[in-house]
Amino acid sequence: MKLRILYFFLIGLFIYITDLGLNYDENKDIFISDQEITSLINAWESQVGRKPTGDEISRIINNLVNEEILYREAISLGLDKEDRIIKRRLAQKISFLKQESIIDKPTGDEIRSFYDLNKDRYYIYPTFTFTHHFFSNENNSLDRANQAILDINNNLIISSDVFFLGKNFAEINLQGIESNFGKGLNNAFNNPRLDKWIGPYESAFGHHLLYISDVSEGYHPEIKDIYKELEVDFIKLQREVAVDNFIKEVKAEYSVIINPDLKI
Amino acid sequence: MFTKYKKSFYLFFITIGLYLSILLVMDLDINEKRPILNIFKSMQSDSALEVVDFSVEKQIIASKKPKPNPNRNPYYGDLHVHTKYSFDAYVFGITATPDDAYNYAKGQGIQHPLGYEMKLREPLDFYSVTDHGFYMGMIQAYADTSTDISKNEFAKPFHNVNRKDNLSVESAGERSNLFSNIVGAVITQPYPSWHPKIIKAWFTKNTQLALKSFDYDIHKSAWADIARSANEHNDPGNFTTFIGYEFTTSTDIEGGNLHRNVIFNSSEASIRPWTRVDSLNPEDLWTWQDALREKGIDTVSIPHNSNGSNGQMFEMESFLGNAIDQDYADKRMRNEPLVEITQVKGTSDTHPLLSPDDDWADFEIMDVRVGSRPPTYSKPSGGYVREAYLNGLTLEFTQQGNPYKFGLIGSSDTHTAAGAYDESNYWSKVGLLDGDAENRGSVPLAEENRERLEEYMSAFNQPQSTIALDQGDYANTGFTQWGASGLAVAWAEENTRDSIFNAFKRKETFATTGTRLAVRFFGGYDLSTIDLNSDNMVTEAYNKGVTMGADLLSKDENVPEFIVWAQKDKDGAPLQRVQIIKGWMDSISGRPNEKVFDVVCSDGLEVDATTHRCPDNGAKVNINDCSISSNVGSSELKTHWVDPEFNSSNKAFYYVRVLENPTCRWSTWDAVKRGYKPREDLHETIQERAWSSPIWYIPDPSNIEVIPLGGTVRLRSST
Repeated sequence: MKLRILYFFLIGLFIYITDLGLNYDENKDIFISDQEITSLINAWESQVGRKPTGDEISRIINNLVNEEILYREAISLGLDKEDRIIKRRLAQKISFLKQESIIDKPTGDEIRSFYDLNKDRYYIYPTFTFTHHFFSNENNSLDRANQAILDINNNLIISSDVFFLGKNFAEINLQGIESNFGKGLNNAFNNPRLDKWIGPYESAFGHHLLYISDVSEGYHPEIKDIYKELEVDFIKLQREVAVDNFIKEVKAEYSVIINPDLKI
Repeated sequence: MFTKYKKSFYLFFITIGLYLSILLVMDLDINEKRPILNIFKSMQSDSALEVVDFSVEKQIIASKKPKPNPNRNPYYGDLHVHTKYSFDAYVFGITATPDDAYNYAKGQGIQHPLGYEMKLREPLDFYSVTDHGFYMGMIQAYADTSTDISKNEFAKPFHNVNRKDNLSVESAGERSNLFSNIVGAVITQPYPSWHPKIIKAWFTKNTQLALKSFDYDIHKSAWADIARSANEHNDPGNFTTFIGYEFTTSTDIEGGNLHRNVIFNSSEASIRPWTRVDSLNPEDLWTWQDALREKGIDTVSIPHNSNGSNGQMFEMESFLGNAIDQDYADKRMRNEPLVEITQVKGTSDTHPLLSPDDDWADFEIMDVRVGSRPPTYSKPSGGYVREAYLNGLTLEFTQQGNPYKFGLIGSSDTHTAAGAYDESNYWSKVGLLDGDAENRGSVPLAEENRERLEEYMSAFNQPQSTIALDQGDYANTGFTQWGASGLAVAWAEENTRDSIFNAFKRKETFATTGTRLAVRFFGGYDLSTIDLNSDNMVTEAYNKGVTMGADLLSKDENVPEFIVWAQKDKDGAPLQRVQIIKGWMDSISGRPNEKVFDVVCSDGLEVDATTHRCPDNGAKVNINDCSISSNVGSSELKTHWVDPEFNSSNKAFYYVRVLENPTCRWSTWDAVKRGYKPREDLHETIQERAWSSPIWYIPDPSNIEVIPLGGTVRLRSST
């Protein structure tokens, strides 16, 4: 009885040692998780429309095993090295992972430092309220505009043309002015002189005399007034820059060597 | 022994019996209409009517928002933009996201799949990402091999199609075939009819669940990402976005394109887009829109590429071949107030065969059916806007209602997330397939590219892919009929969703071919008393008359008067002339007519009273460098106009067409920049233009009663 236990033990030991010897430098276990098998079976099922039979399941698993074996043999032969497709696939995969890993709501401190860094994006631009006399370039605009500013200064009544987009503009910023008139009027709004007819300034449509009556200074809004917007933008930016940040983090450990004599 | 299992046997048979009877009932429902089915129908839920709030919480800073203008401003935008979520955009190598699309519209540069930067000269005011609802997000999932659905057989061809090393024109053949296969519905096979998913699809009215290759979760998350992006980028007062998608349907037998974009006016939207898998019939789309509207979600759908519909877009009968009636007309107009008259794939104003007397009809004509393989001629009649307006009057004449009283917009239909509106900076539409001059046919092909193209295009079922011309062999794959167009323009008080969407509903819109010229148009009875040089002119015109998109009701025998005022694009060519296009229905003969009137000419020239034409203003284009004559043409044109041939009993419509001086077409720009002469079989120049929505003149009801064809004869005042 005792002897049989000893034989059993010795055989076990022999198998163990042989196994250890054979696998000395690499692991030949192929571990297939339950999850992997069920996901394959589900995919099969959704394609074929029924559950696979026992035979079919073993074929699925065998295919997986074969694929894994071929994969490992390919790796041990170094076939993955210098393969652009594999590199790109892996690069893509880690990019997805990095992008998806950010879900946390930013803290107040993070929002504050985000705001400090991106203050200009939230700058409320100065706006202007003005009226104008328009002289169409269909009708000798420069001369008429020059005459008109003299007449105004002499308190004479002047006649001008009617402008397509209107006469009075309230609380409009420089981008809006540019989109309506072109860049020609910009100078007038740089340190503008208020409550006085100035000009002429040339637009794409003719010449203009301007009377700017109000300026509201540009300012950086309080964090509390744009907190939600900052939160949305913070998360959006994190998503966009996740990969860049990751590269930045680890880039220092790499050095890039390029042949300085390469002719392109 | 047997009795022990008797109970289970009964249960088994009862279950089978129930199951079979549900199948039977469904079969009856699909093939016949029976009232008893209402019992089962009451158990159906409609998955497409579930509303989800996609809104993003953002405070609005009042001082950031400009004051509304009661006289309205023209806002320029694009309501037809595809990103990576469209099944075909992804196949075309596009990996741009909805966020990229909105950043582009706001003025940032984004990358074309071929690596160059796409950037607008000036930001747009509004933008809507409208990916194909059909299989939205799905092809991208096939291509990403880390998803479960990609492990299926049908997904294999898509694997890694957009891996970086495959982003080249060399992959065009592979890509084109993928595209044809999807259109050919290779992957839309349903589960067998006994499958439980079929039952689930029926009970939730969600047909796509019955398709093997469909993953509802992926589909919903793509749609949710589109809605999120739209809401995040919406900036009331400065930049407007709309949640939207394309309903990509077609007629069964002739492949007639019936595509429409659905635009939402809210941060809420349905849980999924209503697609061609739900129904091919546009009337079912309108039913769904009506039901959503009842739940407080307003939408408009906008047909496009009627030019490539083989005459099916503006038919004289319904989708199912029934007579159009008042209910059909009301339903269509309630849901489809606008039509996209111009885009990359050609312009649908009119066709030279339909309007032989219109000297400007031969403009950016695309004469093949959308997506046909091999390219197949599209019948002009039924596919163009002007004829549709006339058909609408005919249908009204025969007491069937007018389903074609729509306003006009343009848009791009870009599949690169970035619309190409500028002839001198053009990248066409489908990414890798037409992103360079050789492949879109504007310069000769290098020898190795010619062989490759021929090989790929025969795989694409395109019998002839090149053409030999003076300067060499050119690609001849249809891209030469495409162009740098167009924009949607809305007259709105302010740049907000509500304000712009209301302009869509009022049809106070105009379309341009990409230029940012602007046009106002008013009709009324004492407009001639308004001084065109008064600062109050627009206010007075709004008070005394109606504007584009509206009806002008008859007032005794009074002759309508019009005011039209156009201003050039500040960075574009000067204006050449403004025209009013009139269509009318002879109230005696029921015969439709059309006529083009020049109403104001550039450079102070006078319209000839007999021919109604402006004299030539002498503007020229230098074909060697694309420069244009300076000092010819006008920066603005305005006039009063009275119809010289007015008849108060004829129904009529009037719309404005504004023409710029000629400039180089994109194909000429492509050639000039690369040291070639323009290709001789293409137009060297074009006249960029705009079309306003019409004003309809509505006479007093006639006392002649017209009996609809096939209708019941009803004796008048027989009671």
